[in-house]
Amino acid sequence: MTLDKDKGLEMLRVMLMTRAIEERLIRLYHQGKIYGGVYTGYGQEATGAATAALAGPNDIFTPCIRNLSAHIGRGASAMDVFRQWLGRKDGPTGGRDSNVHFGSAENGVYAMISHLGAMIPVCVGAVMGRRYRGLDSVGFAFIGDGGTSTGDFHEAVNFAAVRDVPVVIMIENNHYAYSTPTREQYRCKHLVDRAAGYGIEGIRVDGNDAVAMAEALGPVVEDIRRNPRPVLVEADTMRMRGHGEHDDFSYVPKELLDAYAARDPIRLARKQAADHGWADDAAADALAGEIQSVVDDAYKAALAESRPDASTLTLGVYAGD
Amino acid sequence: MIESTYLEGIRAGLQAEMREDENVILFGQDIAAFGGAFKVTLGFLDEFGPKRVFNTPISESAMIGSAIGMATQGLRPVVELQFADFGLTAVHQIMNNAAMTHYRTGIPVPITLRMPCGGGFGGGPFHSEELEGLFCNMPGLKVVYPAFPGDARGLLVSAIRDPNPVIYLENKYLYRHVKEMIPRKADPVPLGIARICRTGRDAVILTYGAMVHESIQAAERVAADAGYGVMVIDMRTLKPYDEDTVLSAVAACNRVLIVHEGCRTCGFGAELAALVAEKAFHLLDAPVRRMTAPDVPVPFAPELEKAYRPDADKIEQALMELLEF
Ligand SMILES: Cc1ncc(C[n+]2csc(CCOP(=O)(O)OP(=O)(O)O)c2C)c(N)n1
Repeated sequence: MTLDKDKGLEMLRVMLMTRAIEERLIRLYHQGKIYGGVYTGYGQEATGAATAALAGPNDIFTPCIRNLSAHIGRGASAMDVFRQWLGRKDGPTGGRDSNVHFGSAENGVYAMISHLGAMIPVCVGAVMGRRYRGLDSVGFAFIGDGGTSTGDFHEAVNFAAVRDVPVVIMIENNHYAYSTPTREQYRCKHLVDRAAGYGIEGIRVDGNDAVAMAEALGPVVEDIRRNPRPVLVEADTMRMRGHGEHDDFSYVPKELLDAYAARDPIRLARKQAADHGWADDAAADALAGEIQSVVDDAYKAALAESRPDASTLTLGVYAGD
Repeated sequence: MIESTYLEGIRAGLQAEMREDENVILFGQDIAAFGGAFKVTLGFLDEFGPKRVFNTPISESAMIGSAIGMATQGLRPVVELQFADFGLTAVHQIMNNAAMTHYRTGIPVPITLRMPCGGGFGGGPFHSEELEGLFCNMPGLKVVYPAFPGDARGLLVSAIRDPNPVIYLENKYLYRHVKEMIPRKADPVPLGIARICRTGRDAVILTYGAMVHESIQAAERVAADAGYGVMVIDMRTLKPYDEDTVLSAVAACNRVLIVHEGCRTCGFGAELAALVAEKAFHLLDAPVRRMTAPDVPVPFAPELEKAYRPDADKIEQALMELLEF
């Protein structure tokens, strides 16, 4: 499959927006304006952008902490993101949950819980629920290399395989789980080798190349939509910053970071946009400039918004009360 | 009226709701053609078909996690855990995902987790656990625990219709040990309302589950032997629990015995004792008493299990001490 201009530019927009938001979040963190830690997907923007570009309106996403780009690709605004991080009253969770733990029922995006692996079965069930009603939904469940060691990962992949649920299990192998390198995480050569053990298909992709990923996964997504079954995808990428901004990640060899810095997904996407004739440098700069001003307006507006009212503490623990 | 066992009550409630609402679906281990470890769902596959009744791998976390996904997309999944004990392998899905989703996101999670629990039949440490205290400590869950066939049916109907995650505890000992005549129609029994099983003014027993029946027996013995009138209250729903009925009973009886099958420290009885201490201390003629299992795992051998588990004899003794305080 070759990608068209609209999709190519949409992916570029999503990645630029994600990067601009996260750069601002990092700055807000160092300025002491964010309560709690800051965790970004800096350098991993391509996976969310590519999957969102392939998804249809009935599809389900369960993103993790590195996947702000999946939220943006599914329609989250910069304003939603800053309100959430700043714990504002009108944010997606109204200050009840932190950082990227937010979603949108409308966009088919679930609010993650911290427990790694726990959202994969939720994704499987949500797709089953939509398919029960006759929709053609596919799920996109994200997980890190570390998260693949959880029981939930295994249970959910096997469950989806046994019940023929069309879910793309997107493993983002960014080489580290906090400080733990992959050699202390698993013993198979590639995580995708596990697909055979589940009796499903496994595909390895370059997680920094949104265009190549979209082209490789596009036909797969359409096929599992029609012939329902899960697939395991392993996207090779790199966590370019610490686990969170508090972490100096001195345990990551500099050469490894340099190698991936040379393959930054946004730089790559801009080059491809130019090569395909979708957007030359000037057009890409203009797009980046527009996005930057949206992001700047959003964080300022969110900072000025009101905080949750403590008197609402006990409301909404139960539905229907 | 029809005669029903406790197990048949559960089956009838499930069947009624599945007939009523096609969004109610059922899954768990061995529940389809085999009808489940206890045969609660025997015949369901034939009646409702494989789309609504299906087996799962032995994956409690995936079962409950996927139920959350389904529930947030309009279904009302009922998950059968083969034993409540095995629900603990999925406790993060129950507590951190199901129970917290509405508070965090405003999206309701109408799931019902059926959990066969309790001992008294040599199930040993891993097939006898009483976990209600644990679940009551998880904001966002409701916890239901019927003691009678009619309530088993009606509370299950309410649990399935409730927009929240509900832990439905079904006592295995009661499955085939209790029978009663119940109306043909499966009307819901509202959650959060206790049931006064026996009236009396000398003391009140607050209890639930299998211990309701042991308590009634003990109350009858002290009536016959010593002429005391003991009220017995079946809590039926442990979260949210019926504070009003408890407090009126304390006001009427002035002596309180709390009985439950599971262990003591931080058990549900501790909550009831705290409620009485907070709100009805001035009405007491004797200190609140608890008759519970000790803080030990549920043992296997009958001599040990008998020593572990409260029963009518132990309740009677505690009752006499309370009445003659
Ligand atoms: C079940 C569980 N255990 C531990 C943690 C704490 N924790 C949060 S992120 C993380 C590392 C995750 O690594 P990986 O899955 O590779 O994702 P990455 O952060 O590299 O994107 C850990 C250990 C957690 N969130 N959940």
